[in-house]
Amino acid sequence: MRRLSAQARKELTQLLRDRLALALALLLPLFQLMLMGSSLSLIVRDLPIVVQDLDDSPASREFIDAFRASLTFRIVHWATDRDPEQSFADGSARGALIIPHHFGGDLLRGTDTPVQIVVDGSDANTAKLVAGYAGGVVRAFNAARGAGAGRQPAVQTAMRLWYNPSLSSRKFYGPGIFVMAISMFPPLLATLAMAKEGERKTILQVYVSSISAHEFLLGKILAFMAVAFAEALLLLVFLFAFFGAQLAGDPTPFLVATLLYAFCVASFGIMIGAAIPSQAAAMQAVMFGGFLLVFMLSGLIFPLANVPGGLRWLSNFVWSRYYIEVVRDAFLQGGGWPATWYKVAAIGGIGGVFYGLSWRRMRRMQLEV
Amino acid sequence: MQLWIDRLLSHRLRALVHKELNQIKRDRRIMMSLVLPPLLQLMLFGSVMNPSVANLHLGVLDESQSPESRDLVAALSESRSFQLTGLYRSVNLLGDDLSQGTIDAGVVIPADFARDLHRGRSTTIQVLLNAMNANSAAISQGYVQGVVQGYNQTIRPAAVQPALTEVAGGPARRGVALLHPTLLYNPGGVTTWFIVTGLFGVLLIMNGTITASTTMVKEREAGTLEQLLMTPANIWEIIVAKIVPPFFLLGITALVAVGVLRLYFRVPFHGSVLLVTISSALCLLCGIGIGTAMATITKSAQQAQLATFFINPPLMSLSGAMTPAEAMPGWMRPWTALNPIYHFGTITRGCLIKGSGLSDLWPHLLALFAFAFVLMSVSVWRFRRQLS
Repeated sequence: MRRLSAQARKELTQLLRDRLALALALLLPLFQLMLMGSSLSLIVRDLPIVVQDLDDSPASREFIDAFRASLTFRIVHWATDRDPEQSFADGSARGALIIPHHFGGDLLRGTDTPVQIVVDGSDANTAKLVAGYAGGVVRAFNAARGAGAGRQPAVQTAMRLWYNPSLSSRKFYGPGIFVMAISMFPPLLATLAMAKEGERKTILQVYVSSISAHEFLLGKILAFMAVAFAEALLLLVFLFAFFGAQLAGDPTPFLVATLLYAFCVASFGIMIGAAIPSQAAAMQAVMFGGFLLVFMLSGLIFPLANVPGGLRWLSNFVWSRYYIEVVRDAFLQGGGWPATWYKVAAIGGIGGVFYGLSWRRMRRMQLEV
Repeated sequence: MQLWIDRLLSHRLRALVHKELNQIKRDRRIMMSLVLPPLLQLMLFGSVMNPSVANLHLGVLDESQSPESRDLVAALSESRSFQLTGLYRSVNLLGDDLSQGTIDAGVVIPADFARDLHRGRSTTIQVLLNAMNANSAAISQGYVQGVVQGYNQTIRPAAVQPALTEVAGGPARRGVALLHPTLLYNPGGVTTWFIVTGLFGVLLIMNGTITASTTMVKEREAGTLEQLLMTPANIWEIIVAKIVPPFFLLGITALVAVGVLRLYFRVPFHGSVLLVTISSALCLLCGIGIGTAMATITKSAQQAQLATFFINPPLMSLSGAMTPAEAMPGWMRPWTALNPIYHFGTITRGCLIKGSGLSDLWPHLLALFAFAFVLMSVSVWRFRRQLS
C-alpha cells in the first residue's frame, strides 16, 4: 500500500513539473469544450432566404411577415425578376419562398393556394429542418387566419419535447465533448508516461525494485485517475456555468460511472504504453482509441443508429459510448439506475479488461530479449 | 513525371527533390500514411457520420382503438422515419420506456378521437419526443406534423369538413396556404454529400500538416539539417524540394479521393472538376504550410504531434465541414472566414453539388490562394530565421 501511494505520488510530481503536459491535461480540454461545445450544432438560425412575391397583396405581405418573424429565417433582398436559383449558387441565400400571383385572391375566394419553398439541398439535413420549420410557420399562418372563421384542422398535434424543450444543441453536445475530453487527455498522458519508461529504459529500475506489478500499475493508474478527476471537475464547473447543464435526476449512476470511467481510460492509456514502448507510436494508438472511436462510434455527434450495420456492432466495445449515454442520462434524461445500470457495469468491465491486459504484459517484470 | 520534373527544375533542385522522394519512399510509414489513411478515413467517416433521421422507435398508446386511430398509426409508421416498436396501455409505461431510451417518440391518441372526428369536431393527439438530440427532434417534429397534415387531408372531404363549416356557419370555407417544400440539387435528401465534401477539405489539411511536419522535423531530429545547409542549394530550394514530393503524393491521393466521392458516395459532379482540383491543390498547400510552420516551432516528432492537438480543434470546429456554419453562434461565424477548410468546403459543395462556377465562387478561391501564399511565406520566413 505504501509502495502504491509512493508510485502514484512520483507520477503526479513528474506530471506537475512538465508544463506542456499540464496544459494538455487541464487547459486544452477546457479550450476544446468551449470551442466545440458551442460550435457543434446542426440547428441553423438566421438562415438567409429570398422571397419572390409575385402577388404583392396584403395577404402575401402578411404571409412574408410570418416568415420574417421567425428566428430561423432571415429574408434577404432579391429582385423579383432574377432567378432565385442564382442566389443559391453564390451562397447569398439558402432557400427561396415563391408566392404565386393568385395567392391573395385564392385565399379570399376560399380556394387552397400552393406556395413553394425551394431549399438548397446541398446540405440535406439543414434543408429538411428548414422544410419542417417553414411548414410550422405556414401552419401558424393558416391557424391565425382560420381561427377567425372557426376552421381548425381535424387532428391537431400537441408536441411535448421531453428532456430538452428548448431544443438546445449545447445541452446535447456539451456533455458529449466533456466525455471526449476525458477519453482523450488522461489516457494520452498515461500512455506517454508509461511509454517513456520503456523508451528511456527507466522501466529497468522498476523491475529491480521491490514493487510488484499490481502496485506499479495501480499506482500509475491512480495518478492518472486523479488527473481525470481534476479534469472532470474543471469541465463540470464549466458545463454548469456556461452550458446550462443541470442534473436531471439521481446523480449516483453518474458518480459511479465517472469513477469507473476514470479507471477505464487510465488503464487504457497504461495498457497502450506498456504494449508500445515508443512515445510517438503509443500516442498514435491512443489517439485512435481516444479520439477516432469516440468521434465515430459512440454517438457523440450523429446517432449511432445511422452507422451502417457492418460497423455498428463495434460500438458495443467502445467504452466511451456507454459513458456518453450515462452522462447524457444524468444531465438530460434522468432515467437513473434502471436506465443505466448495465452501461455502468460495461464501463467497469471494459476497464477491468484493460487492467488485466496491462497486468499480463507487466507480470513478468522483465525485458524480453 | 520524372521527365517533366527534369525539364522544369534546375539540377540542384532536381537532386534535392530526388533525395526527398527517395527518403519518403524508404519510410514505409510515411508512404502508407500518405495514401491509405486519407482514403480510408474519407470512406469510414463518410459512412459513419450521418445526421439523417430514420427508423425512430415509436411507441403508441391508442385509447381510441378505432379504425380512424389505426389509420393514423399506420400513416405514422408507414413513413421511413418511424418504426412502430410498441403498443402501450398506460401513459406511465410509455413515459418509462421513453426515459429509458427504448423508444424515441410516443403518440397518445385520446379515447374520444374517433368520436370527435365523426362529430366534425377538432381533436388533439399528444406527441412525446425525446428531444435530447435537438436535431433529430426538430426533424422528427416536422415529419410528424407532415404526416398528420396528410392525414387531415385524407379525412377532410368526407365526414369532417361539412360538419365543421356548419358549426362555423355561413360561407366560412376559407382557403389555406399549402406549402410545397422542394429540395433543389438533392431531391432525395442525401445527407452524406454534405459531410463528405466537408471531410475532403479536413483530410487534405490534416494530412498535409502531418506529412509536412514529420518530414521537416525528421531532418532536424536526425541532425542532418546542417548537412543540407552546407550544400550550395539556397534556402528556397531546400524548402521547395521539401514541399514538392508530399504535395505531389498527396495530390494523387486527392485525385483518388475525388474518385471516391464520385463513385462510392455518388456525389453529383455538376460543376467544373478543374476548379475543385485547383482549390484542392491550394488547400493542400495551406496544410503543408501549417505543417512546415509547426515544424519550425517544435523540436521533435512527438512535440509536433502534440502541437496538432492545439491546432486541430479550432480548425475542425470552425470549418463548417461537418456541421453547417449557419448553426454556429453569431460571434463565432465571422471566424470561419479565417479557415481554409471553410472556403474549400464552400467551393466543393458549390461546384460539385450546385454547379456554381468561378463567377460565384471566386471570393473563396481568392481566400484560399491568399491563405496558401501567407502560410507558405510564414513557414519560409520561420525556417530562415531559425537557421540564422
